[in-house]
Amino acid sequence: MSSVMETSLATDGPADVIEAAMRPFRKPSKKFRAVLVVLAIVVAAAIGAYAYQLRMGMGVAGYTDSSFWAIYIADVVAIIGVSYGGAVVSAILLLAGASWRAPLVRLAEGTALVTVLVGAAFIFPHLGRPDRLVGMVIHANVASPVFWDMIAITTYTFATLVFFLLPLVPDTATLLAEHPDELGRGRRALYRFMSRGWVGSEHQRRVLHSATVIVAIVIIPLAVSVHSVLAWAFALVSRPGWHESIWAPYFVIAALYSGVALVILVAAGFRRGYHLEAFITKRHFVRLGYIMLSLGALYFYLTFADLLPSAYVGESGPTEIVYGMLFGSVAGWFWLFLVAGTILPIVLIALPWTRNIWGIVIASVLVVIAMWIKRVIMVVETSGYDRLTNSFGDLFHFTWVSIAVTLGGMAAIALLLMLLFRTLPLLSIVDVQELADSEAGPIEASATPARGSHVRAAGVAGAVILLAAAFGAIGVTSAQPARAAVATESLPIVTVTAVEAGPLNTVTAMVTLDGLPVEGVLVNFYESTTMFAPGDNQVPLGAMSTNATGAAAITYTAAVTGPRTIKATYFPVVLGDPVVGTTEFEVTEAVSLYSPTPPRLLATAGQTLALTLFGVVAIVFIILIAQVVRVRRSCGPARRA
Amino acid sequence: MTSLFGIGRHQEAPVDFGLSPEAEELDQSRRNLLRGLGLAGVATAAGALGLIAYRDEAQAAVAAGASGQEHQWCRVVDLRACKGERKCVAACQTRHGLPPEQTWMRTLSWHDEAGEEFFMPVMCQMCQDPPCLNVCPVSATIKTDQGVILVDQDQCIGSRACMAACPYEARYFNWNAPAPTNKMPEQSPNTLQFPANQIGTVGKCVLCADRIPYSSDLPACVEACPRGAHFIGDLITDVAVNGQSTVRLSTFLREGNAVRFKEELGTNPRCYYIPGNGQPVGGPLEGVR
Repeated sequence: MSSVMETSLATDGPADVIEAAMRPFRKPSKKFRAVLVVLAIVVAAAIGAYAYQLRMGMGVAGYTDSSFWAIYIADVVAIIGVSYGGAVVSAILLLAGASWRAPLVRLAEGTALVTVLVGAAFIFPHLGRPDRLVGMVIHANVASPVFWDMIAITTYTFATLVFFLLPLVPDTATLLAEHPDELGRGRRALYRFMSRGWVGSEHQRRVLHSATVIVAIVIIPLAVSVHSVLAWAFALVSRPGWHESIWAPYFVIAALYSGVALVILVAAGFRRGYHLEAFITKRHFVRLGYIMLSLGALYFYLTFADLLPSAYVGESGPTEIVYGMLFGSVAGWFWLFLVAGTILPIVLIALPWTRNIWGIVIASVLVVIAMWIKRVIMVVETSGYDRLTNSFGDLFHFTWVSIAVTLGGMAAIALLLMLLFRTLPLLSIVDVQELADSEAGPIEASATPARGSHVRAAGVAGAVILLAAAFGAIGVTSAQPARAAVATESLPIVTVTAVEAGPLNTVTAMVTLDGLPVEGVLVNFYESTTMFAPGDNQVPLGAMSTNATGAAAITYTAAVTGPRTIKATYFPVVLGDPVVGTTEFEVTEAVSLYSPTPPRLLATAGQTLALTLFGVVAIVFIILIAQVVRVRRSCGPARRA
Repeated sequence: MTSLFGIGRHQEAPVDFGLSPEAEELDQSRRNLLRGLGLAGVATAAGALGLIAYRDEAQAAVAAGASGQEHQWCRVVDLRACKGERKCVAACQTRHGLPPEQTWMRTLSWHDEAGEEFFMPVMCQMCQDPPCLNVCPVSATIKTDQGVILVDQDQCIGSRACMAACPYEARYFNWNAPAPTNKMPEQSPNTLQFPANQIGTVGKCVLCADRIPYSSDLPACVEACPRGAHFIGDLITDVAVNGQSTVRLSTFLREGNAVRFKEELGTNPRCYYIPGNGQPVGGPLEGVR
């Protein structure tokens, strides 16, 4: 069956492509309209639910203090994650020289664009006050991983848009030339704008190809950065289960894995809907399936590598998290993910009997759903773990609001994809034509696969900036002794003297009864303070027994300068009134025991990192904008010939 | 031949770095373009520097009128005195108009082998290296000159990154509409020191910072504790009070073998716990050496 299709592609490919690309622009079928209406209703319901949540607070979505991060952040991670599928199928395979990708690239890039937009939109329901989002720009904290999430997502979205739009320039020009009447007025105007000046000259094609390759090179580390920074929003806090060094690569692989699965589903859906069997064949599904299989195996391995160290050491937090996954509160979901999300898809693709379109599509459905479940488990379980009591609070409860909003997001992806490819061609006409030409020629027989090694991670780290206060000026002046006041009564008398020697003050009390020293009584010393109820507050300095001469003395370090009253008391009768002696005293030299916290190690490194990252982001934007401008310029009047 | 990544060699060189006249011209246009865009890059970097300066300005604004050289506030909780009456919690709830499920102060309890119950009040530890401050994307958490950590509820976007980061679980979220400020016993002026709770924002212990320098009123929890377990102190003047007695802070901490909670996390908390459970409290009147 598939071989027949491939033959037909080889013989009358070019004509076929343009015809196939025009199919979505014809009058939509009843089925198409029905699906569109259903999806629109689901999206509208989600918007209604979100409006309700905005009015009532996030409590109605099931959030509590023991599930402060839950379904929406999992949606953000899962949906932005699947957008990496577009990058892998399109950019990585482009750089790897895998020309079989041709019929899939437009679908993959469109999926990447739509999912990153929908995924980023889930940040809104995740926030308590989305109305203040502008604060992320006008008074941002560059030390925050969430800030870099925003930067990374914005940059990646822009790159995805450029990567999607650049190859459309020749395609829209082709369709304009071939079927100007069938396009309709709106599309015609749009296509004229997009392909303005494109004549397909050698120079134009060279510029476009070079620009596309550069964007493809840029988009891969950008996608790595997005999923890494998303992971660091979790890993940069000290919570068990999140604070894992493996999380950034773990998220990247998860994104690739679920992303390839979604590309398979989108390809299958549009293949069936628009009868693209001649272009997207079983061999495409099998190859994507193989990629998915290897990523699935890698994800399985990383899951094991994530859990083993926590479980082995036995520290209470991480152990409880692993126990919760294997046997505890989220065990059912975790095993469902493990079996349905990694083992079953691998088996379905590995076995030759199920390695067909249906088997691979089922495997992809399992992967997409199971990977969403995995994200929810990862977020909800740790969020519910109380690090003070070392126990789990109430885990997240799904409510109709959060389910409706999440379903609306999923529906929005399908809806936007259907609308996007009713507006723009769903096949990359130029790529498919090139592929058909090359397959018709003799090159295939002698072809050797070229593997790209352009995949590398961009080093984007959430910066840690520590602001340490520096205080501590200590006045140094000369010492000045003070005289004690003297009282005369028949009761024991306490006379106090205070002497300052640098910051060290020595206070001495003489206890006498009728002029004779009193030995062995406990004298308490106090110093007045200006703190906490000034004028009336006495700080105990300590107690000392009198010696044979009736004297008791203690030495202390003055913390602050200023006038002080020193008081010495002793109780001649238990529970009776104390005998008190006081003296006024000017403290001129003091040493506070307080010393400011020294700046944390690596504090300045964090600042340097943040500034470096700003530079990197600026360079990326410059590169991307430059590619657009280059292609546009090549279409300028001077270059048209 | 049918490898994972491809069956055919790519027809064109992936990137054309050749120096044909065509390419040279291409290269020139690229360079002109980059020159223009370079200026945009400089502007971006300048903007980045501005962003980094924001937090300093915000902190300076709060610290205006009070110097960190005069006071550095801290807390001491004398666990020997705590009997789990939770009057501190109640006083805090009342003063800040908090719903029952949102407590800025919790009193944890444990049972030992003999069945005796231990208590430990936990609230914002006023870390000097606060993880919550670092992760806030909008600089809504600030550290004042006097070492108090506050949340600007007018800036908070409710990302709850601080809740994730706080190792003391000391932050709480206004999931639903909070009680209006006029229902609070003492109407909140909605300042950083005495915030009016707003839906969709994070709240936490503010050390009743509106009462700084605590010369007439102490924090609500300190005033409420009938057993004098809660102290408010100043590290500079080395004094702490619990509303009943005054202690020399450094001596009190040393004599009581004071510890800080989760010291190993490097947060440098400004809350000291005197360990113990129901032992006779060595009051300052008995003297220290």
